[in-house]
Order: sequence, then C-alpha cells, then structure tokens
Amino acid sequence: MRFLPHTDADRTAMLAAMDVPGIRALFADIPAHFHMDAGSLNITPALSEAAIVRKFTAAAEKNRHAGNTRCFLGGGTYHHFIPAVVDYIISRGEFLTAYTPYQPEISQGTLQALFEFQSMIARLTGMDVSNASMYDAATSVAEAALMARRISRRTRVLIADTVNPRYRAVAHHYLRYLPGDHDDVAATVNFATDPAMLIAAIDDQTACVIVQFPDFYGSLYDLAALRAACDSHGCLLVLVFSDITAFGLLESPGALGADIAVGSGQALGIPMGFGGPHLGVLTCKKKYVRQMPGRVCGMTTDKQGKRGFVLTLSTREQHIRREKATSNICSNQGLMCTAAATYMASLGDVGLANVATRCAAALNMLVIALPDAVLAAPAPHFHETVLSFADVHRRDVFLRAAQQEHIFAGIPLERLDVSIEARHLLVSTTEMLEEQDIFDFIRILEASLCMQ
Amino acid sequence: MHAITTAIKHEEPLLFEHQHADEKSISLPGVVADTPQHLQAFLRNEVAMIPSLSEPEVVRHFVRLSQWNYGIESGFYPLGSCTMKYNPRVNETVVRLPGLAQLHPDQPEDSVQGVLGLLFELQQSLGEIVGLPHVTLQPAAGAHGELVGMMLIRAALNARGEQQRTKVLIPDSAHGTNPASAALCGMQCVELKSRPDGRLDLIALDAALGNDVAALMLTNPNTAGVFEEDIAEICARVHAAGAFVYGDGANLNALVGVARPGDMGIDCLHINVHKTFSTPHGGGGPGGGPVAVCDELARFLPTPRIERDGNTFCLRHTDEESIGAMLGSIGQTGVLLRALAYINAFGRDYLHHIAEDAVLNANYILHRLQHAYHVPFAGFCKHECLLTDEKQAAHGVKTLDIAKRLIDCGFHPMTVYFPLIVHGAMLIEPTETESRATLDAFCDAMLDIASQCEADNTDALHDAPVLAFRQRLDETVAARKPVLTWPKKAAT
Repeated sequence: MRFLPHTDADRTAMLAAMDVPGIRALFADIPAHFHMDAGSLNITPALSEAAIVRKFTAAAEKNRHAGNTRCFLGGGTYHHFIPAVVDYIISRGEFLTAYTPYQPEISQGTLQALFEFQSMIARLTGMDVSNASMYDAATSVAEAALMARRISRRTRVLIADTVNPRYRAVAHHYLRYLPGDHDDVAATVNFATDPAMLIAAIDDQTACVIVQFPDFYGSLYDLAALRAACDSHGCLLVLVFSDITAFGLLESPGALGADIAVGSGQALGIPMGFGGPHLGVLTCKKKYVRQMPGRVCGMTTDKQGKRGFVLTLSTREQHIRREKATSNICSNQGLMCTAAATYMASLGDVGLANVATRCAAALNMLVIALPDAVLAAPAPHFHETVLSFADVHRRDVFLRAAQQEHIFAGIPLERLDVSIEARHLLVSTTEMLEEQDIFDFIRILEASLCMQ
Repeated sequence: MHAITTAIKHEEPLLFEHQHADEKSISLPGVVADTPQHLQAFLRNEVAMIPSLSEPEVVRHFVRLSQWNYGIESGFYPLGSCTMKYNPRVNETVVRLPGLAQLHPDQPEDSVQGVLGLLFELQQSLGEIVGLPHVTLQPAAGAHGELVGMMLIRAALNARGEQQRTKVLIPDSAHGTNPASAALCGMQCVELKSRPDGRLDLIALDAALGNDVAALMLTNPNTAGVFEEDIAEICARVHAAGAFVYGDGANLNALVGVARPGDMGIDCLHINVHKTFSTPHGGGGPGGGPVAVCDELARFLPTPRIERDGNTFCLRHTDEESIGAMLGSIGQTGVLLRALAYINAFGRDYLHHIAEDAVLNANYILHRLQHAYHVPFAGFCKHECLLTDEKQAAHGVKTLDIAKRLIDCGFHPMTVYFPLIVHGAMLIEPTETESRATLDAFCDAMLDIASQCEADNTDALHDAPVLAFRQRLDETVAARKPVLTWPKKAAT
C-alpha cells in the first residue's frame, strides 16, 4: 500500500524484536468478538492514484461551477478573484502539513503569518485586535454572542432579523441550552435594517445587539443612533459582515462603533468550495481581549533577544481551563489565515478598494438597467440586493432561462429564509463579473418577462 | 532594525516593514466605474494601511516564512493524540479541480450532483467504518463535533422527557475540549478519576451514575494510549442507568478497520478526519469532525442533510426534530473530500493496515524506550505510547527539556504534559506512515538523551533548542503584556 513504508519483512522484524507472534496480538486487549475480518467492511475497494483522479474528475465534471458559468450568487459566499500565488503559498508543505504551533521555535512561519493576519484584519475592520480565526461566519456570530454575555454579565442576546438567517440559526442553536433569552428582533423594512426597531427592543438585561452591515439584503444604514442606544443601556454592539472586502471601500466596523466585529473572511483569497473550508473572523476592542474565544498569536523575544511569536493568552482556552474555557474551539482555520494574509499583501489598500468598488459598480450597473417589472430593494446597497418579481412563476422562468445560458442569476430568498414569500431573488456581484455578463443578465431577464 | 542573515537562512521582516510597492501592483477583472453616488455617505474615512507588495516580493516573503516551519513533509511529527500522518498529494490535486473548488453552496441541486455524490459516499463510508450508520458531515472540527454530539444527546433525552439529565461524566484523562463542549451545551461536568493503570474506574463510574446523568464521554483508546478493555461493560452500565455513551474519536486511528466503536456500545462518535483520514492540519486547521450516531439519535442530526433519492442526491434543509444547523454550510467540503480520497486509497482491502501499522509502530517505540524512560502503565499500547520524565527528573531534566532537545536532533517533539493524569507526560504517536528507519532514528535520539541524563551531561538539554530558527521564547511576557498586532505608526 503506497502510503505505508513498511515491507512485510519490516513488520516481521519489528514483531520479532518485540517477541510478539503477530500484529493482531497487539490488539489482544480488544475483546475478540469485536475484531473484524480484514476486508469485511462494506466500502469501496481500494483505488489506485490514477483511479482516484479519474473518479473525482468524473464527479467534478458533473457539476457546473463558477469557472464555466457567470455567478450572481452571494448570501455569505462570494466568487472573488484569487491570485495564483495564494494557493501556491498554502500548498507549501511547511504551511499545509504543520500542526498548531505549540512548539514556537520551529513554527515561526505559521506564527508570523498569523501575527500579520491579525494585524491586517484589525486594520481592515478598524478594530483593536483579531484572534487567529473561527470556523466560519455563522459560528463567529455565536461566539460573539457568548463573548458579549461574559463581558456584560447579562444573558439577553438580540439579533436583528436582517442578519443572515444561517448566522442567526447557528447562534440560536449554540445558545439553546444556556440560561437567558436570545431573540430575533423584527427590524426589516423594504429589505433593509431599521435601527429604530432594534433600539426599541433593548432593555437593561440586554447583553448585546447583533446587526449585520451591509445587512443580509446588502443594504446600508446609519448605525449612530443604535450605537448611542447601546451606550445608554450598557450593552455591546456586535457588528457582523458577510464579505470583509466591503471595508476596502466602506466605513469600518471600528469606526462605526462596534465592540465586537465578526464575519466571513472567505473573500480574502479562499475559494467558495461548496461551503468550506472558509474563514471565520473575530475582532474586538482591546479591553475585551481576555474574553475572546480561540487562539491568538502574540509577539515576544527568544533567549537571545530576537523577535519571535507565540500562541498566547492560553489561560482562556480549553486545554488549560477545561469547562471554564471561553470556548471549546481547538482546531481553527489556521491555513485560511495564511491564505488571507497572502491575499491582502498582494492587493494592499488600493487593490482592496478596487475590489470593493468594482463589486459595487457591477451591482449599480445592473440595478440601473432593470426592467420596470422587477424592483430592486430601495435602500443604498453595496454588492448585494433583493430583486422582487410579481410572482414566483416569473422569477423561476427567469432563473431557468439564465441557467440555460450558464448564468446562476441569484438565490431564491425563501431558500435562505422560509418565512419570506417566494418571489424574491438575492443577487450579488463581484469583480469576477464583466460588463457583458451584466448585459446578458438583463437581456435574459427582459426576454423571460416577455415570454410570460 | 532588521536582524542579520547568515548564509541562506534568511531573516524575514514583517510585511509592514517592507517598502510599499507600486499601488498598481495587481490587475483586477470586473466593471470599472466611479463609486456609485448612493455609497458616498458610507465611505471609509481612514485608509486601512494594508501593505501592498509586488508579486515576487509576496512570494519570497511567505516562502521564507514557510522555511521557518516544520510540517509532516519535513520530518517525523510524533505528537500524541494528534495523529500527524502523511497527507497524500493526490488529495490536494483532486480537491482543486474547478468542478469541486469553485462551487457556490447555493447553486441549484442539479448543478452539484457530482460533489453531493462524493459527500454521500463519505457519509456512508464513515458510518460503516465506525459501526454507527447515521452521519452528519457538518461539524468543522473535533470540538465542534463534540458540541453537536452533546446537543443530539440532549435532544434525545428531552424527547424521552428526561430534562433532568444534565450531568456529563468525563474521565480525568480526557481532552480539555470534552468538558468545554459539555459546558457549552449547558451540562455540568463530573470528573471521573482514573484507575492506577490509567483506565476508567468502574466503581467510580457506578458511584457517579444516576438519573441526573446524560452521558459518559469516553476516549478509547484513552489518552494514555491504552484500550478500555471493559468497554462493553462500561457501555452496558451507562445504558442501564439511562444515559448515553459519547465517544471522542480522536484516537480512532488505533481501531480503523480492526474494530468498530459502534459495535462496542458507543452511541455517538465524532471522527477527526484531520487525524484518522489524513487531511492536512494547516498549522492549526481547518479540520473536520463528522459525527456518527446510533438509530435513536438519528432523527436529531443537524440540517442540511445529504440524502439519496434513487440516482439523485439532495439536501434536506428542514426537519422538525433536528437540532438544526450548527455551521453556516453543510460542512468543510474541501477537507471532507480529502478524507474520502484517503479512504478510497485503502478501500475495504487495506483499511485495517492503518490501525495495524500505527499500533505496531507505537509498540515498537515503547519497546525500544521502555527501559530508558519510565512507563506509567504496563502492557501493550495502542496507536500511541505514554512515557514520563521520572527517571530524567532525578538528573534535573524535565519533559520540556527533552522535547526541546529533540528539535536539535531534527524531530518535532511529542505531546508534552498531556494527559494530566501522570506527571511530566510524554505522549508519542508515530502513525502508520513512518518507516522503520525513521522510528529507529527517533528512538536512538531519545536513548541518547536518556544517557546524557544518566551521565549528568545535561547542558545541551537545558539550552535546547540552539539549532532551530529561534531559541526558547518568552511566553510569560507575551501573555502578561500581549502585543497582538503591529502598530500602524511603528518605526520601521
């Protein structure tokens, strides 16, 4: 077997050295009736390397993908340009096949990359500090809620219903067996967030208010009054984002007054990958750093006074604090931090601003060209918005016509939130769409409306 | 101030200490237009100061950083309970196929039948391998799987009308994630003290069982590397008391293809695919922690679920009794596909060789080191062997010194100071992908260290590592005055 270095002669010699009659003798402590015969499992027979490539290629070819379609799908996962160097760097075995850097003397590569990642994420989000990643945006929201409960010593968590329904669901599921309330607050007006409705829901038991900016529908709104209301009630403002590249252009969570800012870093050089691995980002104000979940990398010096990096503040973590830890997280998304760091350094301020501007410009171009029969949500939007059709039939005729021309034109909104009437489409644009793609979208849309 | 580089061992400054390159250093596709008017009120005021390097500078920066790292491709990595095995390169190739890597999770189902088919096969294969037929691929890591598993158990107990069962019994040898996950699920943890031979104490178990107990969380083989021989009796007693047995699958590498946790009475098990099934650790992640369960727990599994309907595959997003989504997606697909590729490479013909060679290698190391180092628990080990520094401590040498000395000898250290049930633990897990020559070289280095202690020739041990990229780092200062970001206005 090609991954096993031993020959049968090796095995025999090793067993002889130990004076053991056979390999299965080493398993004598497992009761005999639990032993299985070799080859008795009902799984696929062994495949050669070539057969594995053939099998996975055949499966891949059954799928349509962003490389041979035009992708207007968003909702938390976005098709952005990824410079080739990003995948090259994270394919290097020294990064790819290393463990968590518990032995810092031989892990400075991972650690410095993490420190650079944390520094750049803090700068991009305008927050003081970042940890070294969570699983994804949804679990980051859950962890932010838990963190706000610890900081405020209160248990009521309010989540705007304009936060991505998947993030809300995961947060509620995380909190379900802990004491205290956690409620969705109705704050949706015309597929945008009305902060006044959130402000009205805050009371003196509220640990935090969780809002998304730009919200789930891609809409922008003024956060100043909500920030002031959080201050007067002594609760935390948690800001969620689904595409961190927005802050190449838009005001950062820190400048908007967030106490904790969490969301997805998938846009930073990580492929959509049918749901993962992605990158959960968690940032906060410096004063809350000891309540952060997850790993964090810090700067220090070695015995000779040379600069170096270590995992630090580990007394928050499960391997030290066990049931009193700030989180149960152990494995995180380390490699994705290296990918994000490589991506950010490749783009810089100007590149990130260009990405965000092109995302917004593409959507703006699309919205301006919409036929009268299809309405876009009225609020200012970044790179995502809701298109409303007269009925589900007209929408689905369009979706099918678009798919015929290899365009994934949007996500039916009820697929993400079953409480929403089935005639809306969540549409997102990135820099991967060219003008011609927008023209095609509009042409097919107009044609599909005429057909009906 | 930059440190001096010697020969080709490069010092590499932080990104922020590099000169900023030309701002137009990257070319982007897309629609070029002015910022839309409606965004003017929301624009960023202060530039983020993300450094911008040219492509050759970016590559050189990160390649140099990579050279300060040690991965399983660099050499032996015997971290106990971490299962650092070789990560096949073909797995990296296949997951990068555009038809797998460039899929949006909300594409129409008819456009993703290929990937759903692969994930469905993985789901079925994992269930078969562990003997628990119902599987969710959603959990993103082992600890995440534990949380999902505890939620499933709580949901099942609630369905039985037994809301009062909120205690979880956890042996003192368990991973720290076990109590942390149970606490996050609103459970109270009760620690069970291990027997002198490192195994679960049935008397302590009996004393703790009652109608307030939800589950026992058990790692088997446990973190001392020994198999719980009473497993059938343990499960029977827990079941008789009305509770569930949760299996921490971190040590599944000792059993894969040889015996199945489900057959032994485990009700719910998470599987660390980044351990047993070779997906790369990536310097901390991503991982994958699918959870396999018995019939009673199946209806509570998270959504969305991957189901088969004849020749087509579909995602079921809602189910009344499900605990619901615990991640924003169906799982870490890229990680999961690599695990399937590993299982396919061994297949039903060779899968048992994984556990067999892993256990052979651990016992071979134990055999070679058993006289030079203190062995706290007698008998064969499973996939990892546990030693302590008791003999070396008499010469003023601690586990940490031995670990750091191994770095100078060219090896990644073993897991140190875990499990907590012995003093000065050294937990060594070689896995199935190491050659006899590598095992011998490692054992020779360990024996060398032991003889240096015997001879009280221990300076090199206390100073180690001296050949690594950095010497021992000051972790106390790092924690006391944390510097977690590079300041924007630092002098460079």
